[in-house]
Amino acid sequence: MKEISELNLPDDIHYAEDHEWARWEDETIKIGIDDYAQDQLGDIVFVDLPQPGSRFEKGEEFGTVESVKAVSELYIPLSGEIVAINKDLEDSPELVNHDPYEDGWMIEIKPDDPREYEQLMDKRTYLEMLKGLE
Amino acid sequence: MISAFARHACLPDKRRFRNRQGTTLRESWFFIDLPRTPYGEALKLQRRLVDARRTARLARDIVLLTEHDPVFTLGRHSAAEGYCTGKSPAMREGIPVVAVERGGNITYHGPGQLVVYPIVALHARRLDVRTYVSLLEETMIRTALHWNIPAERNNVNPGVWIGARKLGSVGIALRRGIAFHGFALNVSCTPEPFNWISPCGLKGIAMTSIAQEARAPVTVDEARIVVHHHLADIFSVELCPADMPAIAGMGTF
Repeated sequence: MKEISELNLPDDIHYAEDHEWARWEDETIKIGIDDYAQDQLGDIVFVDLPQPGSRFEKGEEFGTVESVKAVSELYIPLSGEIVAINKDLEDSPELVNHDPYEDGWMIEIKPDDPREYEQLMDKRTYLEMLKGLE
Repeated sequence: MISAFARHACLPDKRRFRNRQGTTLRESWFFIDLPRTPYGEALKLQRRLVDARRTARLARDIVLLTEHDPVFTLGRHSAAEGYCTGKSPAMREGIPVVAVERGGNITYHGPGQLVVYPIVALHARRLDVRTYVSLLEETMIRTALHWNIPAERNNVNPGVWIGARKLGSVGIALRRGIAFHGFALNVSCTPEPFNWISPCGLKGIAMTSIAQEARAPVTVDEARIVVHHHLADIFSVELCPADMPAIAGMGTF
């Protein structure tokens, strides 16, 4: 596993305690898993995402990722409606490993309450949480 | 008797301790040796323990060892066609098929197979998933070696193998950083039900067992003792018995 100091954690996104990230894109929010999560899971071979139009409450399971012989649940960091999913992950799930914040994004949502974004952790707070896990 | 390899004092919950001589003592895991248990009951217990571990009502990792009544289980992304051969003999035999949240494809569990479910907070142990899966495989490999069986990993297909014969399978799930499900080691089970499916989605492979490879009778209870020993060694933990009332007393249920 990467050392915490080696993790790529952008400043312009927010983080959830289950290692998902969220980023504002005008009216919507894109969501994926962060460098810590992709590194911990290893080579991802399958990503299972919900249908656009479905709705989830903050903290609910919205999908799964499968690495070799291991399925990991994904939790939505804000309540909202799925407006788009990253279809490229169907054929190229490895994008989550190679580029977790850009080409490896997972879902795009219209948040119910934009203030939930502010309740997520910024990079500094998230780093402190990661150090506490050790 | 079963925990003969693990009869050491059980430690409090912190990670590392030093005794007066300055020797580092090991972290401890609970274990529960369950008798033969229906798959669904063991699954419910696992899910409750995962929840308890996540919320810290259960302060240590824990491992369940059991055998199941005959059952086919499907991994999260299993195609149902893995469960094949036209006449649907599984249904003929009345063997249930259960879809579960683990990774991997279809497999069979039944009497004579030792099933091991470690419930482990991977983040706290700084374990990545690939390493964790390989440690579970290592536990099976060393257990087989106890009977002089040279099992090994296969670069393409997880699990442990003797040539093209599969001895044990791995499949795990991760829920909020807690790993559950685990591995299944064929000890003395009949290979026949595996022929009714394509185990783990593989075609043209044979399943084998420790008894078959050792050409000697080996029981699941003997294998439990050996697995205990190697689990403790490979994960550097002491295994401390947790009977069900003790777990219930922790407010888990």
